[in-house]
Amino acid sequence: MTADIYDVFYYCSLLLSAVTGCYFYKKIETPYKWLTILLVFTLVSELIAKFIAYGMGHPNSIVYHIFTPIEYTLYVTIFLHFIQQKKWNKLFWLSAVALLLFEIVNTLFFQSLQETNTNTMILESCLLVCLSLLLFLKIRETPSKRNILKEGIFWFNSAVICYYSFNIIIWGFHNMEVYMLDNPPQFIYDFNMILSGLLYLTYLTAIFLNTKKSSEIA
Amino acid sequence: MVYLNTLQSADVIVFVLAGLMIIILLFGFILYFLFTYRHKQRDFNLLQTQKDEIDNQKQLLETTLHDLKLTQKQLIQSEKMASLGELTAGIAHEIQNPLNFINNFSDVNKELLTEMNDELDNNNLEEAKAIANDIIENEEKINHHGKRADGIVKSMLHHSRSSSGVKEPTNINILADEYLRLAYHGLRAKDQSFNATLKTNFDDSIPQIDIVPQEIGRVILNLITNSFYSVSAKSRVEGSTSGDDKYKPTVTITTKYVKLDNSALKKNQSTVRISVHDNGNGVPNSAIDKIFQPFFTTKPTGKGTGLGLSMSYDIIKAHGGEFQVETKEGEYAEFIITLPT
Repeated sequence: MTADIYDVFYYCSLLLSAVTGCYFYKKIETPYKWLTILLVFTLVSELIAKFIAYGMGHPNSIVYHIFTPIEYTLYVTIFLHFIQQKKWNKLFWLSAVALLLFEIVNTLFFQSLQETNTNTMILESCLLVCLSLLLFLKIRETPSKRNILKEGIFWFNSAVICYYSFNIIIWGFHNMEVYMLDNPPQFIYDFNMILSGLLYLTYLTAIFLNTKKSSEIA
Repeated sequence: MVYLNTLQSADVIVFVLAGLMIIILLFGFILYFLFTYRHKQRDFNLLQTQKDEIDNQKQLLETTLHDLKLTQKQLIQSEKMASLGELTAGIAHEIQNPLNFINNFSDVNKELLTEMNDELDNNNLEEAKAIANDIIENEEKINHHGKRADGIVKSMLHHSRSSSGVKEPTNINILADEYLRLAYHGLRAKDQSFNATLKTNFDDSIPQIDIVPQEIGRVILNLITNSFYSVSAKSRVEGSTSGDDKYKPTVTITTKYVKLDNSALKKNQSTVRISVHDNGNGVPNSAIDKIFQPFFTTKPTGKGTGLGLSMSYDIIKAHGGEFQVETKEGEYAEFIITLPT
């Protein structure tokens, strides 16, 4: 029953942020448009995963095997739009390709389509933390006149660095538990659900702040 | 089962500790970021304010510069018109001479035609033919002097018009002589008592050189006018002297073709030297460094704009030439222009 509450919180926040992004799609700046695409893509993937698990009764890990590299590619696009420095283009795209290759190797030799691709998720989280740190550096280098707490980019980046730092611990712990135990504790996944829900709510805040900023500029 | 429970509890503690550590680290990091960001933002805002101020000042300076350029253009035009004013009397004198010729010859022709009519009435064809030949000769003279007057008017218009800036082959001797005469007659018309000896030492070997004639003409005119002013001023002071010591105001204009065949440089470095020398008061030592500065003048208020030599200097530099001055206070001044051929 408690797990259901976490599920509801997670799906509601994801749905709300995706709908908000779609609603303000024309008003928001390019990186936020990509963020909306990511949210919609996540929502669709989660629904497919749910359908496979509960509708068809099959393991839904395959969805995450496909979802993770695409999600990272979308993040790369968002970060590149935020950073706006051509010198990083190559490195960022290279990291996306590296993650894809890692996913293939991981699927073939370590975590099959029947298992959750936690290794790839950990790598993705590490890369995203790096991108987030880089973006923080960039924000600090080019400060704006506005209060930073009213900037969507700050909330987006804070959400990324917090969520994916925890993700490294969560999936690392999961890996340890799975390989050492048959039944890893449920609270880890519940905790992950709460964090994911908070992540999407923060994205919602970022999108909303950007719509306000766009109105001010207009 | 006991082992599993023990392991799970230990792992939960590890997990919670790791989570707490991450929370502290992230919280610290974000706080640090916010602190340094605010600091940077303050510096950035200060810089931005300063930049805006500099931009405003730049804008103001640009406007001022634009205004100055406009004023300079207007001043140049008024200086040109002022020099034209000085020339007016000279020009009138120069036009008067050919007009006198034209009037006289047309009067003569009128008489000759009456005479010819009489001779034709008397059937004296030989005499009529001789008179007709005289008329033709006179017509040629009228035509010649008419063209001279036309030339003077054209050169006056040339002078008053804005320079096209196009260089054209010009005979520097003719140009110098023309402006010398115009300046002299101009001054004479204003001051009947003024008299000066004009000397010209023109080098006939000078080929036509590529210059903007209106501009170089303006320079020569300016130098000659200054020389006349100087000798005139000295003449007024020393006018009472008599005998052999009597001051004789003299202005000499000299042109010289200096051919330097520098084979080492494999190029012809020939130059034309134009000098305007006067035995006036010369340039005071205290003013020698300032004479080429705009708005500097030793003339009384209202007599000079102080732009003549400055403009002349700019014109000569624009022609790739040199402008020098040699002077001894109270004795002489010589302005030397060197132009490349």
